[in-house]
Amino acid sequence: MIITFLKRFSWFWVLVLVQALILNNVHFFGYATPFLYIYLLLKFDANMSRYSLLLWGFSLGLAVDVFSNTPGVNAASATLLAFVRPFLLKLFAPRDSADDFSPGIHSMGLAPFMRYASVATLVHQSALVLLVTFSFAQPSVMLLKVVSGTLLTTLCIWGVEVAKK
Amino acid sequence: MRNLLNFLLNYGYWILFLLLEVASFMLLFRFNSYQGSVGFTSANWIAGHIYTVSAEVSSFFKLRSVNHRLTQENVTLQAENKALREALQRTVSEVGDKAIAPDLQKDDYSTIPVHVINNSLHLPDNYLTLDKGAADGVAPEMGVVGGNGVMGIVYMVSEHYALAISLLNSKSSISCKFKHSDYFGYLKWKGGSPRHALLEDVPRHALFQKGDTIVTSGYSAVFPQGLMVGTVDSIADSNDGLSYLLRVQLATDFACLDNALIISNDHREEQHALETKAQQVP
Repeated sequence: MIITFLKRFSWFWVLVLVQALILNNVHFFGYATPFLYIYLLLKFDANMSRYSLLLWGFSLGLAVDVFSNTPGVNAASATLLAFVRPFLLKLFAPRDSADDFSPGIHSMGLAPFMRYASVATLVHQSALVLLVTFSFAQPSVMLLKVVSGTLLTTLCIWGVEVAKK
Repeated sequence: MRNLLNFLLNYGYWILFLLLEVASFMLLFRFNSYQGSVGFTSANWIAGHIYTVSAEVSSFFKLRSVNHRLTQENVTLQAENKALREALQRTVSEVGDKAIAPDLQKDDYSTIPVHVINNSLHLPDNYLTLDKGAADGVAPEMGVVGGNGVMGIVYMVSEHYALAISLLNSKSSISCKFKHSDYFGYLKWKGGSPRHALLEDVPRHALFQKGDTIVTSGYSAVFPQGLMVGTVDSIADSNDGLSYLLRVQLATDFACLDNALIISNDHREEQHALETKAQQVP
């Protein structure tokens, strides 16, 4: 129990620091920034309670916000992601999987996991871009940001997932 | 009662979700007006320390290019020094020693050297985190200047760190003028390229051309007069057609910031008090 918590806690800080110190400075073509920190939310066990999922999501987003001077933006979108994650998992997980599996390429298979990860990233990225710009003045730029950010983040998630094995 | 409890047990996460979202939105909206929110920015103690370490590491890797820039700056300064020395000698020989004014510059401004430990370029509102705070005499509304030109204005301070509004922020508005004339306008930024900003409210009868130098006007008492801001890049009309809208190529490259100076005007309080008083007179 404590070991699981410590493991999650260290993942939490590693992802926040990687996000703050490296990925926040990445801007492919001036638009696409990877938001890899949501990897933590995607990887929690499938039977984790919705309450702790929400609290982890909120604190993760808040920590990233503090480092990037965007109070509330990442907190709101990560909370949203934590909220929709159980629905997404139900939608994309193979029917015969156990109750307490940890979502991943290994446990779900490549295609289902990537579908799950990319839709989750899309939800998070749309909320994020909407909150950062806070206007519909340039819909094409926003769309470009959402799509490019989603692609890049999904790619990063795939990279970490493969590298971990 | 049991139904209610069951309902709460099954759907309580909806309530938690809504609560957390409301908390996030409160942070989002109150950040602009709520000075105490400095704890939720990179100017707080933990984030400040982490960024200090990271800035030290990255400034080590930047040493090569910094050296290069310093050498170039040295060459230009030496050339300028030589030219000025010659000019001074000419003047002295023309009018004699006595005519040189004893106080060429009033010493109203003092400076605090700082390092930029964090900054962003591509958000709609960008901020700089600086490694000096209230303990070193930094206060909100002091100017931040780099070797090449103006960077921004201090916005919030914690004990040992400060958060400054960069020129690349929609809240930034700095009074600027042309170097060779006194027509002035306000420097704003509306997103897009981090190398360019807009100079608004320049009167129609002002005379200038592409490439002219823009400097601070000194009206606001945040910056002294004549600090480099940038050069005119292109000229357009404002939306209402009553003034010019200039695209300014910024002198400061926000993609590589390290050393900076915070400028504090020792008489700002006095000027500010006088101006507020004047506004209150009916």
